[in-house]
This record gives sequence, C-alpha cells and structure tokens, in this order.
Amino acid sequence: MTPTLRRPGFLPYLMTAPAHLLLALFILLPAAYVFALSFMQSSFGQDASFVGVENYAKLLRDRYFWMSVWNTFIVVNSVVYIELVLALLLTAVLPPPGLLCRVIVSIILLPYAVSEVVGVLLVKYMFDPEAGVVSYWLQAFGIPELEWTTQPSHALVLVVVLSVWLHMPFTFLIVYTARLGLPHELYEAARTDGANAWQRFRQVTLPLLMPAILVAVVFRYIFAFRIFPEVWLLTQGGPARQTEVLAVYLYKSAFRYYDYGMASATAWAMVVLSFLIAAAYLRSMYRRMFVHAR
Amino acid sequence: MRARSIRRRAVVCAKALGILIAILWSAFPIFLLLSSSIKRPVDIFAVPVKFVFDPTMDNYVRLWRDWPVFFESLLNSLIVTSGATLLTIAASALAGWVLSRCEGRYVTGSAFALIVLRLLPPIVITLPLFPVANLLGLNDSRILLVLLYATFFISLGTWIMKTSFDQIPRTLEEAAANDGASLRQTLQHVSMPLGVPGMIAAGVFVFIHAWNDYLFAFIFTTTRAKTAPVVLSEIMGSATGVDWGVLFAGASLQLLPIAIFVIIVQKYLIAGLTSGSIKG
Repeated sequence: MTPTLRRPGFLPYLMTAPAHLLLALFILLPAAYVFALSFMQSSFGQDASFVGVENYAKLLRDRYFWMSVWNTFIVVNSVVYIELVLALLLTAVLPPPGLLCRVIVSIILLPYAVSEVVGVLLVKYMFDPEAGVVSYWLQAFGIPELEWTTQPSHALVLVVVLSVWLHMPFTFLIVYTARLGLPHELYEAARTDGANAWQRFRQVTLPLLMPAILVAVVFRYIFAFRIFPEVWLLTQGGPARQTEVLAVYLYKSAFRYYDYGMASATAWAMVVLSFLIAAAYLRSMYRRMFVHAR
Repeated sequence: MRARSIRRRAVVCAKALGILIAILWSAFPIFLLLSSSIKRPVDIFAVPVKFVFDPTMDNYVRLWRDWPVFFESLLNSLIVTSGATLLTIAASALAGWVLSRCEGRYVTGSAFALIVLRLLPPIVITLPLFPVANLLGLNDSRILLVLLYATFFISLGTWIMKTSFDQIPRTLEEAAANDGASLRQTLQHVSMPLGVPGMIAAGVFVFIHAWNDYLFAFIFTTTRAKTAPVVLSEIMGSATGVDWGVLFAGASLQLLPIAIFVIIVQKYLIAGLTSGSIKG
C-alpha cells in the first residue's frame, strides 16, 4: 500500500467533510434543537419557557395523539406485510431471466417513479364514489363501495392500497435481486430429492432469502412510519381527525395550531420509535463494524 | 404421467395469470392517467372506461393557459433535482472513497453515523429548520431544497460508493502512486473515473426522490421555488372545482419523463439497492 493510503493524515476528515457538514447542519442540529424545544412551551411569536416534561405528559393524555399512533401502527404493519407477500409471490411467478423477464420487471417497477401526489390523484379518480372506475367494478362484483370521504376506516384502507402500490417495487427489488443470487444447483438438488414446488419454496428459497427479507422489512418499516403525503392529500387527517397518522399529527401541531412544544415532543416520540424499530438492525451493524475495526 | 402434465400446465397457467395481474396492477392506473390526459371531459369519467375515443390536446392547452405556474414549477423541479443529484454524487463519492480505502476509529464512526442519521424521519427537522431558513432568507428557495434532498440521500449514496470502490482493486491506485502521481491526481484520474457506475447508482435514488417529493417542497416553498408536485396538489385542491383534464395533463407531464428514466436506469437501481441496503 502507498504511504499516503497508510498514513492518510487529515485526508479522511477533509473528504468526508461535505457529507458530515450537511448531516450536522440539516439533521443533527435541528434534531438537537427539537429535543430542547420539546421541554419548552412556545408558539408563533412567543418566547419559549421551560416546562419540563409537561409537553410529553400532555401528549400522552391527548386522545388524538393515541389515535394517530394507532392509525400509524395499523397502516405501517398492513403496508409492510402486504408488500412482502406480494413481492414473494411475484418473485415466485416470474419467468427465468431473459428479455421477457426484463420487460415484466420494468413494468412492475413503474409505480416506483410515481409521486405520492400523482398517486393520490389516481386514487381520488379511480375510487370516486360516484364515477370512479374501481367503485364501478366493486359494485359489479356486489362488494359495497368504499365511502372514504366519510368513513375513516375506508379512507385508511385507501391509504394502505396506495402506499402498497407506490412502494411494492422497492420491496420486490430487494427480494428479487436476492433470489437471483441463489445458486441454481440447490434447486436441481432439491428437485432430484423429489421436493415439490411448495417444499422447494418453503425449505430452500425462504430460508436463504431471510436476510434480504429482513432488510426489506426493516427499511420499509422505517420509511412507511414516516407516511405523510398520502394521508395529508387524501383526507388531511379528517373527518374529525380520525385518520391522522403521526406525521400528520406533528404537522398540524406545528403549522396549524402553532404549539411548538407539543410538535417537538411528537417529533422526538417519532425519533425514538424509529430507532426502536431499527434497534436490532443497528445493533448488528454496530457489532459488525466496530468488531472489524479493532 | 398424464396427471403430472396436467398439473404442470396448471402451474404454468397460474403463473401466467399472476404475471398478468401484476402487470395490470402496476400499469393500468398509469395507462388511465396518460389516456385521460388526451380525453374530453365527458370521456374522462365515462364508466366503463373508454378505450376508444377522440384524442384531444385541449387539456394541455388549458393547462398552458390557466396554470402557467405549472411550467415554472417543472423548471424548478428540474433545477432542484439536478442540483441535489450532483451534490449527492460529489459528497458521496468523496466520503465513500474514504470509507473504502481508509481505516481507523474515525472512519468507522463516520460510517456508523451515516447509518444512524438516515433513520431520522425527515418531518422531524422541518419545525426547527423553518424559522432558521426564514432568518437566512432561504425559505422559498431552490437552494434549500437542493441541500435538504442531498442531506437525506448522502447516507445511501456514500454506502453505494463505498461498495463500488471496494470492488476496484487497490493495485490500480498503487500503480499510479508508484508512477509518481500525487494523491489528488490518483483520485482524479484513476479512482473517480472507475467509480462512475457507482456514482450513477448513487445519483438515481436522489434524482427520483427529489423529482417526486412533496413533504419538503410543500413546507419550504410558497411561490418562487414551488416544484411540480406542489403545483399539482394545488390544481387538485382547486377551490373552484377540479378540472380533471388539466390535472391529468399536468400529472402526465410530471410522470412521463421520470417513468422513462426509471426504466432506463433499472440496472443501477438494482445495483444500488443491493450495495446500499443489504451489505450496508
């Protein structure tokens, strides 16, 4: 190895500086400031005063906060696992690699390019109670239509459908790429041993895909947990704050009710929950990296 | 033997059906969007869906006439997206090289910080940033959006670059150094050119996100710096009633370029996701 690489001096600091500067200015400092704000009472044009954990206590007493926690919990879990099942099913039915497969994968990836705003537009159009094409199909099959403008649970169903539609390509790509990496011989061997398709999937594919599945699930949990535009543009959290998720609750506290203390407490609740979701993943990364570093 | 062949045929049929459903699920809404943008208002809400109709460019004409701000917002989107992509690539390539080639506690700590900070929900930072941005005159500016999008994709970008540099043999850099090249020359003429595929992979994710993002653009822009998704949401929420034809025309113009882009860069998306999340 060259001397410069062995004794890089201040080089690592210099070259990582732009990345660290951005992270410090736009994530670390604001997050620390929010943490401080969460112990103060403050509003638009009003000086902050220290109130201890009062904001957190108020948050835990607010039934709309719990409503948003519950909605987030339901939406996130539905989205993550529906996506995973669909991604696994798709991986199982795709033809072997080749032109046909590439074309199909391209089409499946298309929703990845769609903005949440356009997604909401499509939902409003296709699920319009009076003239929407999906409402029409549902009626044709005798399924009662979704009254999502008045029924909170129906609106949340649409949020889940839209979110799955937008993000399934992400889950699919991770699972599918991992599946491509599995050695072909394993399947030959399993077939010679007389394993049928289900057994091959259950006993060969699934265990070997597990690491990729875990990564997909952890990342989708973290991203789905932030869900904002789908809900905001579809219902604004209504009717009567019944469809709020955590991000919408935070946004309203901050930019509609100007209760910065409550909004900051909500923000830190979100940070802590995010890290709890990712705890196992973070621990394994930490171990791998710092044990190797020594 | 016959039972087996029937069963095999059933499996093939089931797979074909599954693929058909997947294609309809993914592409039909997008087809509806694009086709409705060239339909007359009466045809847009016709049920069942009209597949044969007189195409018209009226919606695009009305979009041009009634919503000139939409075309400004498309330009803003293009500028913000390009800026964020270039900044992410530059910062990630530099940091990714360090993560790949240097060792020590600082480097490991830096890599871990990148992972941890990536987990923070973006909406958390909007509240404290809003007054600060106001103070610095950065609200409603394209530069703020560039910085924000880059910040949230630097972590993924750096990990993609690290993996990319890991695959380039160090001997190439050592050979350049032995020939008397300075470190800067080695980086400029050997390492970075070899890292270009990684840079593309690092760039596509932030490009797609910045083009489509609603949250930051919604909170941090008011008039001058509005991006296309924000203006689309305004057309959708029009107080005077929604002109669906115009809305579909605008949405088509916003979606079509990025959809084509996603198909073209598919290979890099796959490469980026494998190196960015599975190994990282």
